[in-house]
Formats: sequence, structure tokens, C-alpha cells
Amino acid sequence: MSKIMTVDILSSIKGAQPSQAVNKLFDVIKNAQPTNNNTSNNNHNNSVSINDLRDDVVIESSAIEKQIIIENFPKEKNGYLVVSKVIEE
Amino acid sequence: MDSQIHKIHQQLVDKTITCTALVQEKLAQLEQNTHNTVNAMLNTMALDLAAKVDAKIANGETIGLLEGIPFGIKDVYMLQGTLATASSNLLKNYKSAYTATAIQNLLNAGAIPLVKENCDSFGHGSSSENTIFGAVKNAINPNLVGGGSSGGSAVNVAKDYTVFSIGGDTGGSIRQPAGYNNIYGLKPSYGRISRYGLMAYASSTDCVGPIAKSIEDIRIVLNVMSGKDIKDQTSYASAEITQAQISNSEDIKTVGYFKNFIESPAIDANIKTDFLQAIEKIKAKGIEVKALDFFESETLVSTYYTLAMAETASNLSRLDGTNYGNRIEGDALKETYSVTRSENFSEETKRRIVGGNQVLSQGFSDEIYLKGLALRDTISANFEDDFKNVDIILSPVTPNTPPKIGDSLKDPHAMYLSDAYTVGFSLGQLPTLTVPQGTATGLQITAAKQNDELVLKFANFLKDTI
Repeated sequence: MSKIMTVDILSSIKGAQPSQAVNKLFDVIKNAQPTNNNTSNNNHNNSVSINDLRDDVVIESSAIEKQIIIENFPKEKNGYLVVSKVIEE
Repeated sequence: MDSQIHKIHQQLVDKTITCTALVQEKLAQLEQNTHNTVNAMLNTMALDLAAKVDAKIANGETIGLLEGIPFGIKDVYMLQGTLATASSNLLKNYKSAYTATAIQNLLNAGAIPLVKENCDSFGHGSSSENTIFGAVKNAINPNLVGGGSSGGSAVNVAKDYTVFSIGGDTGGSIRQPAGYNNIYGLKPSYGRISRYGLMAYASSTDCVGPIAKSIEDIRIVLNVMSGKDIKDQTSYASAEITQAQISNSEDIKTVGYFKNFIESPAIDANIKTDFLQAIEKIKAKGIEVKALDFFESETLVSTYYTLAMAETASNLSRLDGTNYGNRIEGDALKETYSVTRSENFSEETKRRIVGGNQVLSQGFSDEIYLKGLALRDTISANFEDDFKNVDIILSPVTPNTPPKIGDSLKDPHAMYLSDAYTVGFSLGQLPTLTVPQGTATGLQITAAKQNDELVLKFANFLKDTI
């Protein structure tokens, strides 16, 4: 992963460039001095306790849910959902 | 008590109105409205549900408090079988496959959804101009913005097109439009209401919340939507807030406000004067008021946007025309992704995705993203210290009155800075309510995390005080 990727590639947005309005915000962060530089010591931790994890079970979707998911898919041919052609690089 | 919900409930029970007539009236108002608040009408569903409520009443059955009450839904929530566009081109034809937990709880209580409401696309904006459905016009002055991102929801409530609406608040998107349209809007504590079925913008601050015309209606709707949900593991169990609990504010002894919010050169002179007058009235009631130190607005806004952009870049990466959204075919898969996203995302959404990828990329993440996380911790720690000394923090909602339609789009940086007073409480995951009192764009009442009850209690006190 030594290849340098530009933001347009990273974002999958053609011709995307960093914006001045946003860079102004980032400059403030670069110059700021947090008193706590240890991100592992955070007090807004939303992680879930291991005793509180939900059961690892497969829940069957309803027929209507499956139907809508298929309807939403951009392209269908002969009963198959069609994705774009993948060209190996 | 000026609760619309109680009033309509009583009219339904007394048979002075029918639910069908009520729903028809509201649907007609929504359809005819010129404020651009509507993305999609839910006529069939609403009228079917109304007929069931009327049948129940005719049979002499008891109805629940929310049964038959018409409401609106910001167009970032899933409601099975209805369009969920996020006001974007990308999801213009996307149909919800399932229903959000918060919305399902309201449906279970019998409330009737009328409309999917206009907003900034994916919640990206503070004016509800960044939308394919036309800029939302302010309820009080239609030349001004409706606020954002939950602008359509706030205007619908202010104009009485809906009895209440469900907005989404990531950095102020319920509180600011509530302030701009002189109504109540609550961002509850993070996790009090499940985010399942809310399109993710910045998952660590996204909150579901009610917009309404009275504290009582906010309380009723909050109670119904709250609770632990296995489908959102950041949600937590909470006790119901009763009317009696929030009617007496004797235990609120100390209120704080942030000095630098008020001393900022960016604040409108009238908002400043009005805010300080409100403080004097609170002091006159025997409550101690403390001026607190806080972070500069620029630091708050920059920290919020750094983290929110990083999270939205990640959350929106699934919108590529293959997993979701209107696909535009290219020569190959990657080309398809990039054409789809380039053509279908708004300029503001693209700006935020690019910003997010900038701060997450190698070489920048330490300097910006990780530092942003550290700043957030410092901000949260600051709040924890403050709430050892005060019960409530009171702030203006915005530094200025609503801008004219068109102005925010010209200057995105100015739009980001207009969120100065709301984003800090989002980073702290604190319960914060906008009340339509005190300044031209209202006041924000904030309490310590998971202390939503205290916020409503103080709102009741303010209602009688200023």
C-alpha cells in the first residue's frame, strides 16, 4: 500500500479537490492544543460490554423486505441482479 | 398546559372531530404549502390508519394518547415501503425496506405519519437549501431559510401542518431549525433513542429527536421513542419521564453559561442583550448563575466538522450505485462508482466526503483526525467538570438570526461557523433542548449526559420565568 492516492480516488468522486472552506477548519485543529493527547483514554466511550452483546443469530428478513431490496437494486436481467463489469488492474 | 397532543386526543375521544377529517385537513395543508417542506406525501397509509382509529372510537374502544395524532418524518428515516431520499439525487427512487425503531415505536403507539420532510441532503447543511426538493422557506419569514438540516420538519410544526415531527440532530440539526422557527426541538442524550433506521451521517453524534410546540408534547414523544434497542448497541434503557417529575424545578439551584459565547464578536447585538436579560430574570428567581470558561467557537466547530466529515466519508462510501442508489454505468466498476457519486452527490456532500477522506488518509490522520478525537475528549471532560458546579447550562441557539435564502450556499465556511453554539453539546453527547424564548432564535438548555428530565424541568421553569 505504498501507492499514493489522491482524494478524488479515495472518495470515488471525479475531479474532487480539497476545499478552502474545509481546510480552514483543519488548520484550526493543527494549531490547537488538546490537554489530553491520549485517545485511548476517552470518556465518551460507546463500546458495548461483552456481557451485553446481542445473540449471534441469523434473522430471516420478511418477504416484503426482500422484495423491496430487489426493487431498489439498480439493474436486473433474467431474474439476476446485474453489477458493473469488473476489470482487473 | 398547551399540549396539542392532549387537545386533539380529547377532541377525538369526545367525537368533536374524526381522525379522518383531521388527517385530511393536515394532508391538504401540506400539499398546498409553499414552504417546500414536503418530499413525499403518505396519503394512503395515513388515511387507512385514520379510518382504523375512527372505527375503534365508534366501537367504544379506548384509544391511546398518541393514537390518531398526525406527525411528520424527516426524509432520512426508514418507513417500510415509502421513499427515503435523504433529499438527494442518489436516493431519489430508494424505497425503505424496513422501518426505523423510533418510527416503529410511534406507529405502535398509534401515531399517524403524513409526510417525509425536506432537509439538507444526508443532513449536510444548516439551512435546508442543500436539497433536490427546493430550499425550505422559514415559517415566519419565507424569504429566510428554514434552518437545517431538519428544516422541513421544523417549518411543518411551526405552521401546524404536523402536530409534531421527528428530526435528526448531528451537530444542531433539530435545535437550530427549531430556534429559527420559534418552536421546541430536543436533541436527547446520545443513545436514549435508537438510531436504527436513521441514515447515518456521523454515527458518534447522530441523535433522533422530536420537534413540537410544547414541552409536554416533546415529553410524550420522547418517552415513546426512548429505550434500549438490540439493533443499535449504543442505545440504553431509560425510565419514563412523568409530567409530575418535570413540573417542579426546586432542585435546580445553579445555572451556567459560556462567557465566550456571549463575548464573541460574531454574536448579534440583540441576541446578546436578550440573552443577558434572560440571565437576569433567572437570577431574580433566586437561582445562582455562573459564567463559565469554554473553548473558542472555532475550535468547537473545527473539532465537530473534522470528526463528522471523517464519519460521513466512511458512512456514505456504501452509496456507490451498486449497493445503493441511482447507478450511472461507466466502463468498469470503479468508473461506475465515481461517475455515480460525482453526478448524484450535492456539492456540500462532496465537500464533506473529500474533507473526511483527507483527514483519514495516511500522513494527515495523526495531525488532524486523531487530534480532533483528543480535543473531543478534552471538551467532554470540560463538560463533566462544569456539571459538578452547575445543574444546567444555558446558551443562545445561534449567534445570528436566519440568513436569507441563497446566502449560506455562497459561503460554506460561514455556514459551518453558524453552528458554533450547537456542535459542542453534540460532541459531549448531552441532552439539549431549544425553547422558543429569550432570544430571536430561542435558548438552548443543556444538562449532564442522560439527564434529559432536568432539561424538560428547566424548560417548564423558564416558560413561567421569561
